[in-house]
Amino acid sequence: MLAVLPVFAQLVTRDSQFQLTPLHGVDFVLRNSPTPRKYLIETMPGGVALLDYNNDGLLDIFLVNAGHVPDPLRSPVHFERDNPKYWNRLYRQNKDGTFTDVTVQAGLQHAGDTNYGMGVAVGDYDNDGFPDIYVTNFGKNILYHNNGDGTFTDVTAKAGVAAGGWSASAGFFDYDNDGKLDLFVTRYLDWNPETSKTCGRIEDPMYCPPGEFGSTTNILYHNRGDGTFEDVSVASGIAAKKGHGLGVAFADYDGDGFTDVFVANDATEQFLFHNNGNGTFSEVALDSGAALNNSGKMPSGMGVVFQDYDNDRLPDILITQLPHEPYVLFRNDGNKSFSSQELETGFGALSGTSSGWGVGLEDFDNDGWKDAFIVQGHVFDNVHSYDNSLRYRDVPLLALNKRGHFERGNVGSTRAVAGRGAAFGDLNNDGWIDAVTTSLGDGPQFYLNRGGKSHWLTITLRGVSSNRDGYGARIQVNGQVRFATAAGSYLSSNDKRLHFGLGDNKKTEIEIRWPSGIRQTLRDIPADQFLTIKEPERK
Amino acid sequence: MIPVLLFLHLFLQPQAVAPQAADQAKVLLQAGIDAENRHDVDHAVVEFRKAAELDPSSSEVLLRLGDAYMKKHDAAAAIAPLKHAAELSPDSVPIHQLLGYALLAQGYAAEAIPHLEIARDPAALGIAQLENDEPAKAMVNLQSALGNDPDNPDLLFYVSRAAVAVGSQSTDKLLAAFPSSARAHQTRGQGYYQRKMIPEAVKEYEQAISIGPDVPGLHLELGEIYAGRANWTQAAEQFRAETTLQPGSAEAAFRLGDALLQEGKMKEAADQLRRSDSLQPNMPETLYAMGRALASADASAAEQALNGVLKVEQDTPLAAQADLLLATIHRKQGKSALASREMEDYRRIQGLRGQ
Repeated sequence: MLAVLPVFAQLVTRDSQFQLTPLHGVDFVLRNSPTPRKYLIETMPGGVALLDYNNDGLLDIFLVNAGHVPDPLRSPVHFERDNPKYWNRLYRQNKDGTFTDVTVQAGLQHAGDTNYGMGVAVGDYDNDGFPDIYVTNFGKNILYHNNGDGTFTDVTAKAGVAAGGWSASAGFFDYDNDGKLDLFVTRYLDWNPETSKTCGRIEDPMYCPPGEFGSTTNILYHNRGDGTFEDVSVASGIAAKKGHGLGVAFADYDGDGFTDVFVANDATEQFLFHNNGNGTFSEVALDSGAALNNSGKMPSGMGVVFQDYDNDRLPDILITQLPHEPYVLFRNDGNKSFSSQELETGFGALSGTSSGWGVGLEDFDNDGWKDAFIVQGHVFDNVHSYDNSLRYRDVPLLALNKRGHFERGNVGSTRAVAGRGAAFGDLNNDGWIDAVTTSLGDGPQFYLNRGGKSHWLTITLRGVSSNRDGYGARIQVNGQVRFATAAGSYLSSNDKRLHFGLGDNKKTEIEIRWPSGIRQTLRDIPADQFLTIKEPERK
Repeated sequence: MIPVLLFLHLFLQPQAVAPQAADQAKVLLQAGIDAENRHDVDHAVVEFRKAAELDPSSSEVLLRLGDAYMKKHDAAAAIAPLKHAAELSPDSVPIHQLLGYALLAQGYAAEAIPHLEIARDPAALGIAQLENDEPAKAMVNLQSALGNDPDNPDLLFYVSRAAVAVGSQSTDKLLAAFPSSARAHQTRGQGYYQRKMIPEAVKEYEQAISIGPDVPGLHLELGEIYAGRANWTQAAEQFRAETTLQPGSAEAAFRLGDALLQEGKMKEAADQLRRSDSLQPNMPETLYAMGRALASADASAAEQALNGVLKVEQDTPLAAQADLLLATIHRKQGKSALASREMEDYRRIQGLRGQ
């Protein structure tokens, strides 16, 4: 038997696309500080961002921590964010693949003592070529401006983007195509320590579902271009709808040239904010077929990604949610309409008893079809005592896309965690997309893509008339389409570079529609390279 | 015990007892009755007790004394005078009835039963039999009492307890007499499932199936457990086995079709759902699932199935679901007016349902 074991292990390894790999130099632990009082904030953090903050060509990692939860919790709350245990952390990637904690030298150690950390968004809001960081909290959010010298400055007060209440995911996008990134912030619940309560059995309480608390509005900040933002939530129509917002993702689903917004709501109808192109949005999810799942139920929307899974060049929507209902996949049917296709695409058989959070639609095996990677783990840390078929800790789901139908893949780990955030990007610049995930009470997990033989292409956009990162651009490569964004997933921010799997193709054609409306085509582009494409000047 | 006592008192209607005691005892008896009328039960007990000492052969005095004790919620003290009264007047219904109550209130259910039988009091007798672990007999008497007093919440409570006890007794008998039978494992499996102990339930069902692979319903129930956990592949496997065992079962075919639908096997699902519909036509759940299975591949057949749902169901959640799916199908076909109409119906139903 002993002689057989190594062979077996080799077979398992060979079969898996990923390998759970230590992040050398990263000693972060997501400290959510659960209490017996089951304050709902405790089970919701936390985000991760993959960004190249110092433009050295290597992805760095920013991790949002939560905080110490006093028991009992009373307003005003002090979460001990001054204690280094509860700091958010920035890890700079070194040339040898190890990481160095640069939190203090970057000036990011001050997370605000009254803030319990949630998520992160990344975008170059001032077009200076350096990515800025926006951190969401239960409390006040913080915008850190990247000074370009390895340091950041808290510019929240000047920028006017503190929000307040319970913010969750956020994302930068340019809704009015003026070349300056605006900011969308989802907010989860109208919740505070005084209105908190527990549910379930008295002797074994559990976190209450969101329906036990009030709903709230999301926030849209318009970038004035002078380092300040204007809250246009009401004027734009975004605040007209109240929900339980968690995830947010952007794409132009109807091809009108303006970026639309999808908000994953927990246990209420999902929101699809159609961009009217005049500074206002209309919420059209129900009439577009993207509000409810295939059996007419309101999904417990957590994470969301807005990309094209079936290569029909129209962005589709994948939403993660609680067990016993499949993860929701709204296929974009054209005609400004969606149909839920989770059963047809195989997610009914893949979701099962798992709860999903962070999610990515990326071509992990470079075969030309975007696969799904979903971080899993239940909301309730004591769920097993209520239903012993459910589990708090879980392994991620890798769903490989076989020409529009998803099949379970080997994620390369059997280590179960209380998964939450997930960010996707090519950490080692080998042309294969990796994943960094977060889990409650644990360190981040790094799923290193083991690669393969297929070809690939990774594009960095350099906007000129458009915003510098090209967020909102539509890029078509060999019939596949991606919408340029770092948003999506849950509380997290992805590598802004656009990755395409090319299968056997060694050359490709690239078509770009920039947010400015400028179209650009590049032909006979060799595969297996990192390509920076600059937006052409307007003729 | 006090609730039982209070409840039993509601059924007590003491009859007048002919006075046969000595004159002094009669005076004391009257003093006791007067005290009772003044709601001074403690004083009444004192007077009745003195009367009983003077005339211990008077069953009326003893009954009054026992009744006064019962009014004081002192069933223990009531038993002795009432037993004595019953010896003196063995045919007196009120004495046996009150004695039965007192014994039952003190937990002597077996002793209470013969007295309550004489008293022909089905409610109290049923309760005593239930306490005496005779749920089947109790059920008969409690149902009889319920027939005369159908809205009595106490009676409904005891009937429900008796029903559970009857089931439990049958289960115990099954498990004791045939512990390794398929039905015993099935029963244990059901118990685990009700307590949400899923792995244990599955194990019992698997053992049941290994012992009695041809027992109808086993595969169906195990399949439903898997389906409840969204474990569709294993659910489909079980439902398929049930359809092989029971090819005429519309439910088994429906369950299989639904599991295949959840697995994303739309064509196979539609075949099974059509079969279920042919075995038991126009079941709305079957028609809805058929519409769902056919929505992508055969819009016209899907529409027909969903319109079938709307013929059977109005203003229900399933009707709303059918409207929603029809709207999706119409939208996909570019029939926006029809889609809007279905959405109007959907919203109307949701509005009716307060959503």
